[in-house]
Amino acid sequence: MELLERAPVELKNAFLRVLGSLGVPEGMLAILSAVLIIGTVIGVFLGLFALMSVMERKILARVQNRYGPNRAGPFGLFQPVADGIKMLTKEDLVPRAADKVVHFLAPVVMMVPALLVLAILPYGRDMVPVELESGILFFFAVGAGTEVAIFMAGWASNNKYSVLGAMRAIAQMISYEIPLVISAVTAAMIAGSLSPSVIVAAQGGFAAGFLPHWFVTTPWGFTAALLFYIGALAESNRSPFDLPEGESELVAGHLTEYSGFKYATFFMAEYIGMFAICGMFVTLFLGGWQAPLPFLTVVPSWIWFFGKVCFVAFTMVWVRATLPRLRVDHLLAFAWKFLLPMSFAAFLSAACWHYAGRGPAAWFLSLVVVGIPYLVLGLSFTSRFSVSRRTYLFSE
Amino acid sequence: MICESLKTCFDDPGKFLGEWFVLLPALVLLLAAAAAVVLRNLIHATLCLTLSFIALGILFIALGAEFVGFVQLLVYVGAVAMLIVFAILLTRPERLAKSDTALSGLGPAGGALAGFVTLGVLLGFLFTSPIAKKSLPGPASAPVAEIGHALMGDYKAALIVVGVLLTAALVGAAVLAMEDKNS
Repeated sequence: MELLERAPVELKNAFLRVLGSLGVPEGMLAILSAVLIIGTVIGVFLGLFALMSVMERKILARVQNRYGPNRAGPFGLFQPVADGIKMLTKEDLVPRAADKVVHFLAPVVMMVPALLVLAILPYGRDMVPVELESGILFFFAVGAGTEVAIFMAGWASNNKYSVLGAMRAIAQMISYEIPLVISAVTAAMIAGSLSPSVIVAAQGGFAAGFLPHWFVTTPWGFTAALLFYIGALAESNRSPFDLPEGESELVAGHLTEYSGFKYATFFMAEYIGMFAICGMFVTLFLGGWQAPLPFLTVVPSWIWFFGKVCFVAFTMVWVRATLPRLRVDHLLAFAWKFLLPMSFAAFLSAACWHYAGRGPAAWFLSLVVVGIPYLVLGLSFTSRFSVSRRTYLFSE
Repeated sequence: MICESLKTCFDDPGKFLGEWFVLLPALVLLLAAAAAVVLRNLIHATLCLTLSFIALGILFIALGAEFVGFVQLLVYVGAVAMLIVFAILLTRPERLAKSDTALSGLGPAGGALAGFVTLGVLLGFLFTSPIAKKSLPGPASAPVAEIGHALMGDYKAALIVVGVLLTAALVGAAVLAMEDKNS
């Protein structure tokens, strides 16, 4: 087990030792080591993307009582290969009135932040590609590039659906980024560092022998985790926040005029971005690579990390299968009138928890601090509507 | 000289890249900033301005000021650039120039004059201020925690004043944008 824990690092070191004995200079080895790490990380996430693209359709199908893809290979598992070949051989259409250069650059720009943010996630014990002191800040700073890419795609297509979709996407991403960042700051504040690996380390250990010290187990952490999760759904343009691509009204939003491999690049960047933000969610609130129970620590840390990431990604698909799409004004009102004040409440609650000594008393104090705003805001939102039980005429 | 460079490139690529890496974002920054001024298509100019923001952020990071670099990316690329885009698209898109033809007449000359005068005034102040007489400190890389302590400690008054100013600006913007229910 100890061997398995270190396996990825040891494999890389062994490979480099062999090269070193063949007379490759020291400096070149350092670069090669970096290339190996980058290749592995990108390879793993591309694999996850391929798996996700088929699993998502499978899960949606299961929820909707149908089979889903089951023709290509066993259980339809070779579907991504078929999709890839289809995408590669499709004609690359560029509208005559499009801004050709910007239209071409948009998918490339979209891919850059999606790959860059993978650099700072702690994938396991002592397994961070780049140990950055302000890693959380890096994550959100680089993520801002996505908005530029979506705007470029929407505007360069010279299509009103594209521009509308891009405008919606930018409005949504700017609005949801604020609660997202503030809820992430609570975790950084309690851990006392912006470094993802320090935040994960702060969540190690168990209370009473079995309760993990994950931030999600505290009232402020639970609130912040929910806020972060909602913000993450909106940032990755996933249902119920998929208005920018709402098929029923905008064809495909900023993707309307894209086809073939450019479309595939967008699709890939969106899914890798989704995995990255799931990884950030796991790092901030679900204890990163820490095991959930003491006796489970024998399982290698990187398995825990990717297991948790896949679980969070699964819940996102589940949400997509369950919830209807929001309306634009509801979407923005929800961000500014509910999520933003709640994230401030979570912020205050985290501070109370810290200064009350982090014990059981602090736990209840922070519950009160976060509970009162929740009740007030929630009641103010729902009191305007009378919610009654719906009966479906033809389904019973 | 070039042979020497190539030799370091093979023996110690990290060092080689480190030496030359600083120049690249600086070059991109200058070219993008110039393009942002020259291009007549507003959206292209905005995108070039965004590129120059990104290059400036990378330049900060390359010079060891990680925190400033990330904040530059977060604030200027994530917020300011998007704000400019919104302002352009929400005003009059039909009047956007479709091509990138250059300005003609006295406009460019006047702009250049204004730019150089501003540069002269700024340089004048820079060289006469007491800061110019201090010797340069070594390459500083302040940890994020230190910056945070400084902001919350020595500079807390300034931080609060900036906060109040921004809040006032926000409230003002909201009041301007609010519909008058009486009319």
